[in-house]
Amino acid sequence: MIEVSLQLLGFIAATILVVVGIAGMLFLDNLIKKLIAFTLLSDGVNLALVSLGYVQGGIVPILEPGASISEFPNSAALIFGPGIVLTNIVIGVSTTAILAALIVALYKRCGSLKASKVLKGERE
Amino acid sequence: MNEPITNLWSVPLLVMIPILTAIVVNLLYNKARAIRVISIGAAIAVLAISVVSPYGFHWFAGHPAVNADGTYTFTASVFSWKLSLEYYYGPLQQILIAVTSLLLLFVVVIATKSLSKNYGPYVAIVFLTYVSAAAVIMTNDFYNLWIAVELGSLLVAGLVASSGTGYAQKAALKYTFFSALAGSGLAISLGLILGITGYANITDAIHFLMTNDLGGMHAVLYVAFAFLALAWVYAGGLIPVHPLKSDVYRSAFPHATVLLQAQSKLMLVAIGIVLLRMFGALPFAREVMLSISVLTMIIGIVMALIQTDFRWTLAYIIVSHSGLVTVGLSLGTYKGIVGGLFQAVNDIIYMSILLLCCEMLLYFGKGTSIKFNGGIAKKSPWLAAFVILGTFAASGIPPFNGFQSELIIIQAALEQSLPEVAAVVLMVSISTFIALFRAVYSIFLKPGEDHPVRQSEAKRFEIPTTVFVFLSVLLAISFVLGVYPQLALGFLTESALKVVFVPWVP
Repeated sequence: MIEVSLQLLGFIAATILVVVGIAGMLFLDNLIKKLIAFTLLSDGVNLALVSLGYVQGGIVPILEPGASISEFPNSAALIFGPGIVLTNIVIGVSTTAILAALIVALYKRCGSLKASKVLKGERE
Repeated sequence: MNEPITNLWSVPLLVMIPILTAIVVNLLYNKARAIRVISIGAAIAVLAISVVSPYGFHWFAGHPAVNADGTYTFTASVFSWKLSLEYYYGPLQQILIAVTSLLLLFVVVIATKSLSKNYGPYVAIVFLTYVSAAAVIMTNDFYNLWIAVELGSLLVAGLVASSGTGYAQKAALKYTFFSALAGSGLAISLGLILGITGYANITDAIHFLMTNDLGGMHAVLYVAFAFLALAWVYAGGLIPVHPLKSDVYRSAFPHATVLLQAQSKLMLVAIGIVLLRMFGALPFAREVMLSISVLTMIIGIVMALIQTDFRWTLAYIIVSHSGLVTVGLSLGTYKGIVGGLFQAVNDIIYMSILLLCCEMLLYFGKGTSIKFNGGIAKKSPWLAAFVILGTFAASGIPPFNGFQSELIIIQAALEQSLPEVAAVVLMVSISTFIALFRAVYSIFLKPGEDHPVRQSEAKRFEIPTTVFVFLSVLLAISFVLGVYPQLALGFLTESALKVVFVPWVP
């Protein structure tokens, strides 16, 4: 039986999410579907960053009292990945909110959610 | 890398004062007088801090460096820290932030004077846009860099959408969708660099790359470079993102575009320098950057030449001149980097003159179309004088500042045996003059309506005193830097030397 590391699985799943997200953003015509595709992309990036910090047989990166300082860096999972993910979740929510607000405003103005119609580039 | 502590109090104020101001004016919402007083006071405060602040580091997070045997490197008398999330405030940061702070003051005065209601949130976005620009140029870690770029792109969308037109909302939506792609790319780049080096600090990461054998990890480094370059292209509006960025420049109020173009230049410089410091030694990295820059210059100026609206012409010239900034940086030599940095400073100044003139055309109610205007010079001779002199500065005509920086970039390109790049810079300079003067002639100098200017109409075409002062100040700076370029070059040479010879030092 082929042994696949959890990290590799994480990267594969992240790649799938990112590719689906980018394809959705580029090729779907409905603005709400584009927005959902963006959330998939954002989740894929988050999964990639979490997977980056994975250490086989590692420990939670909290230095317990009495633990060895010299062994800690080798066994602890990389803390920065989850830290970045927390920030990326906030950024993702902000971006989603702004996109949603703009889509609502444009829907009121144009009466459609089709990107091909709404984003037609006539100059004012 | 370990460095002695210089945890400056003044540096975070350049970010915190605008953020607090944004919160307060947002809460005040439509209390016009209070918003005006607070925002102008805050803008003056950050301008003063940027001028008087000493140089040095500020750590947001860091930890004492640990030796291999588990002991700490610092003693009670000599501190030594492992770098982490930090800002660096040096001469380059000072000149760029001081110029941007001056523009912030101008923009805030115009915004609080010309917009009559519900402008608390708008002024808040203006201040936060300034924050993103100041943060991106000061940061020496990938985490803060990423946050500043992401924050900046969302604020650009907010500032553009605030102008309220359908076209502006479309431009903001398109720009935000692409920001989602570029921001995700930047996050992945940050993750990859973190994965390769284990450091978020740029100095530490470069030091790691210089002292360790990467083995088979070079391909990952190229991927990280590609994603960071994507963020650079996106933040600065280089090709292929130029249509989105020119839409943004055109759709916002001209006074907001003053700040947007300054933010773009600061992002181009900040990310460009990080690319050079971190990946400058990679084969093809600088060539890729140079190719993008040259193509941006050419496509931007060609698009500017075919426009029939002054705002569109300016939007594409800003894009083209962004390429001029990055050409200098991408050459990677001391002279090239100095030229690129100087061009960034100059570009921010002379484009602000032209954009404020554009704001005045809208203020007069005449619009900015080349086809339906004419004779404005008779009605507003001062505005015509400002726009013509601004055109000279943007076209690189002496004695204005554009001439000096373009000359340095051309010399740097020739020294690198790249006469074709020098020729393109020269062509862009000449084409800028043609594109701008065509618009200026049609709007200002071409005979307009036949009837003489009436007394009541003459009043309508008077430039407000504040804007007159702002235009005079910017023109004076443009002239002084054109005659005495060493005044600005003194701030730029140190950074260029560091990038070329000691890239791990911010």
